[in-house]
Amino acid sequence: MVKHLFKNTNYFFQEAKIIFSTSLLSNLTSLFSMALIFLFLTMVIAGWWVSNHVIEVIQGEAEINVYYPENLTAAEVSALLEEIKKIDGIREARIVQAEEAYARMEEILGKEAEVLQYFTENPFGPFIEVNIYLDVLESVLTGLQKLDKIDYVRDNREVLEDLRDLAGIMHFLSYLVVAGVGVATLIIISHIIRLGIDQNKEHIKTLILLGAPDGFIAVPYLLVGLFLSAGGGIVAALLSVFALKYIYVLAAGPLPFIPLPSLESLTLKLSCLVIILSALLGLIGSVFGLHTAKID
Amino acid sequence: MIEAKNVSLQYPDGTLALRKINLSVKMREIVYITGPSGSGKTSLLKLLMGIEFPTAGTLKVLGQTLNEREMKKIRWLRTLMGPVFQDFRLVKGRTALENVMLGMRFLDLSLEEMKSRAQEALFKVGLEHKADALVENLSWGEGQRVSIARAVARKPAIILADEPTGNLDKENAQNILELLAAASRECNAAVIITTHATHLIDESKGRIIRLRKGSMERADA
Repeated sequence: MVKHLFKNTNYFFQEAKIIFSTSLLSNLTSLFSMALIFLFLTMVIAGWWVSNHVIEVIQGEAEINVYYPENLTAAEVSALLEEIKKIDGIREARIVQAEEAYARMEEILGKEAEVLQYFTENPFGPFIEVNIYLDVLESVLTGLQKLDKIDYVRDNREVLEDLRDLAGIMHFLSYLVVAGVGVATLIIISHIIRLGIDQNKEHIKTLILLGAPDGFIAVPYLLVGLFLSAGGGIVAALLSVFALKYIYVLAAGPLPFIPLPSLESLTLKLSCLVIILSALLGLIGSVFGLHTAKID
Repeated sequence: MIEAKNVSLQYPDGTLALRKINLSVKMREIVYITGPSGSGKTSLLKLLMGIEFPTAGTLKVLGQTLNEREMKKIRWLRTLMGPVFQDFRLVKGRTALENVMLGMRFLDLSLEEMKSRAQEALFKVGLEHKADALVENLSWGEGQRVSIARAVARKPAIILADEPTGNLDKENAQNILELLAAASRECNAAVIITTHATHLIDESKGRIIRLRKGSMERADA
């Protein structure tokens, strides 16, 4: 069988081309419909991956800001810093002066930092920045509660939890979309293959009467299914590159502080995934179509 | 090569197409099956190709008993046959050469051998100049000859030709029968030809079996 496959490679591609071009318009429409379905899948998976990345980055930068009364003397602040450093789970603690806090916010806001000029005085106060190990967040917070001279503590636990919830939704949505896209692709491809078989019924009957094995008859149809689905995947991958570039440009303006993953790496991974997935679904759909087609 | 013992064929609608056929065909033998329309000629060919199966009796082709449960064996047997269909069954959109090669693509032949055999077969049927012509652009007679070339190029053990002389004038019909007889000699193949045209048969070259209402009327040596 393998020997026949290699020997007839050219023939199989020719046959697949003929089958595809027999209903050219219908097949091209199917290819672009599948490209749009795969583009939708790509965008959902991109959302899932980006939210996971953001969580990872924020988790890695887990920190607590400890605010103290502004009337504390420098010596009292230093003493407070030393006490904080003694708590288990603290990686690093340092004083951030009001000027530094202002400069940081300027950097984060970028072009939007103009808004800070509306304040006559620096709206930021000094604080102690505490880097911790995320898994000991609770015990560190308990330790801080026991200390005097602390106004309040701000942690990013709520933001993390919100992001985790968002990632959970994206995760669930991704599985749902993958399943939906999978089923839709299988239905479309198997239907196209059945139509192709129906249009070439006499040709197939002749091959059967000449003794051609099923595998030999099936190969051009498998190629058509593969081409349609993987073609849709490739178009979706190309469209997703443009779509993500646009989304990144949009996100970089109003949301400059979101730590987005590298666009190149994201599009490369997504393209590989969608092309492999589409090819696989195309093959499975073709096999399903071949099995359910009726020759007689 | 072919052994039929008391073979009967009854279709699901109750029509008895063949009844108690006894037939033995040897290597290089040419057998003409004649009879009026509906006498069972095509049904007999369908049995030999494993398209239909005996409802009674035993049919052996190349030593293998034909049984509908063994389709893999039937497919294999078909690769040893050279069928010439009444409607040619050529694949449109492909050239004459491609059609002849199509019958060999799944046989154990190299691409070069396939092409050389196909060209040779087209030369034998006098269509070497039409090798690159699309089959839909060929005349009826040319289509018939491409169909014969496809059967012969496979170098089959048995050639089965269903009404190969139909719709042809006397000269072309005789040429076709000559081609089949030559193929029999060259491939050592048994040739079974169904035909209405009894006046064209050269009885010195083969045996005539007359069918009437599914029964064998006469078998001439």
